[in-house]
Amino acid sequence: MITIDRLCYNSKLRYINAGEKFAFAVLALCACVISRSAVVSCFVLAVMGILSVWKGGIPFSCYLRYLSVPLIFLLLSSLAIVVNVSRTPLDLFAVSIGGFYITGSRASLVYASELMLTALSSVSCLYFLSFHTPVPDILNVLRRLHCPKLILELMLLIYRFIFVLFEAAHSIRVSQNSRLGNRNYKTSVKSFSAMASALFIRAMKKSDALYNAMEARCYNGDIRVLNENFPPRRREIVWICIFEAVLYGFVIIEKL
Amino acid sequence: MTKKQRYRILITVVMILTFALSQNVSAMHIMEGYLPGGFCIAWGVLCLPFLWMGFRSIRKALNENRRLLPLLAMSGAFIFVISSLKIPSVTGSCSHMTGTGLGALLFGPGAVSILGLIVLLFQAILLAHGGLTTLGANVFSMAVAGPFVSYGVYRLCQKGGVNKRLAVFLAAALGDVFTYCVTAFQLAFAHHSDVSIGRAFAKFLAVFAPTQIPLAVIEGILTVLIIAALETYAKPELRAAGFIKEDR
Repeated sequence: MITIDRLCYNSKLRYINAGEKFAFAVLALCACVISRSAVVSCFVLAVMGILSVWKGGIPFSCYLRYLSVPLIFLLLSSLAIVVNVSRTPLDLFAVSIGGFYITGSRASLVYASELMLTALSSVSCLYFLSFHTPVPDILNVLRRLHCPKLILELMLLIYRFIFVLFEAAHSIRVSQNSRLGNRNYKTSVKSFSAMASALFIRAMKKSDALYNAMEARCYNGDIRVLNENFPPRRREIVWICIFEAVLYGFVIIEKL
Repeated sequence: MTKKQRYRILITVVMILTFALSQNVSAMHIMEGYLPGGFCIAWGVLCLPFLWMGFRSIRKALNENRRLLPLLAMSGAFIFVISSLKIPSVTGSCSHMTGTGLGALLFGPGAVSILGLIVLLFQAILLAHGGLTTLGANVFSMAVAGPFVSYGVYRLCQKGGVNKRLAVFLAAALGDVFTYCVTAFQLAFAHHSDVSIGRAFAKFLAVFAPTQIPLAVIEGILTVLIIAALETYAKPELRAAGFIKEDR
């Protein structure tokens, strides 16, 4: 149902300490966003790609497909940055329409391409985190970082319920399709709203039943689960430190 | 090339970009790494008072009645699932609802701000929509600005005695449009290389309009149909959801 979730449970890097992965990805992400330079971005993109595909065992085609998920946003917003409408033509290109020019400058093209690289490399950092770390592990890291307990509890429950509701939605969808519910536009709008309302009712009923079940098992305000714990290894920590040091070295050189 | 030819080429390029590329149109999540560091922090800080308000209201409601916890969690999951399901769209591309307008009508804007934060975090991690550094900006546009406008519009329409279905439609559609405006503003504010902020804002609005305006209309229609169906079949559940609203 959710491909990333399935990928991260099958990843070869799954049993590495979650805190290490979290620190690694988030620090690299910050370096990308702070520096906004092409060199740092290409370096991060390459390292993250190699680690995810080679060490983590994510299929290469799959990785590429996920990198292209935000492509539309990227293209449209870069278009808005590069293309201008003005009375005076700029230096890169200019198409005249009536008294106006549709035009762009070299500087903005450079700016937009740097921005695209930065965005792609930061996405690769995010993917490193989400392709190799299951959500419960991320929640554990957040708990260590003193995230409020109420929010964590909500997140845990929401994560669980997402799959319950997805399953319900999927079976409703299948039965609608088999009864020609998505035959044309009008029926598909109708069936979508019917599904959403049925889903809502089911969600409410389920939550009630869940509360009763929890009460029956002595629920008194907090949910305790056993955590699998994978201790950090020294070798990995050393490698991460070396990588981040090199990366931030680049950032400082670029900024000077 | 003659003037006419250039004009034609330009039109073709624009058509291709708007139609062929819009295969996967989601609500406007600003992608990871697209905003400079300062802006990420600034938008995050701007969200904090709303989140704090939502957090306080949820905690207060929970202290009075623990039964609300699974209900809230289910509501969050509902928003997530609704926003990640494909909705029927005219062009045949695959688009998604925001879901936060519906959430704001059902559960109130305070609760939706916290649920929206969690949903957006999960969307970033599980669906690769949005990102960690842009979480603050996305929360502000989708979980704070949109829902508050939806809720405000709905309340205003109720006071003005507008037809209920129209009110729901306006609330959901305007909430969507407002989200899209806020996102365009956030982008323009951060990236205006050779023009003024106002110009850049207009450009971002124009570029995203072909995908976002139809989406807002569809979302409005769907929300009306969903609310209508719920009122027919699920009065007690609606009351239970509204319970959260009264408790705040």
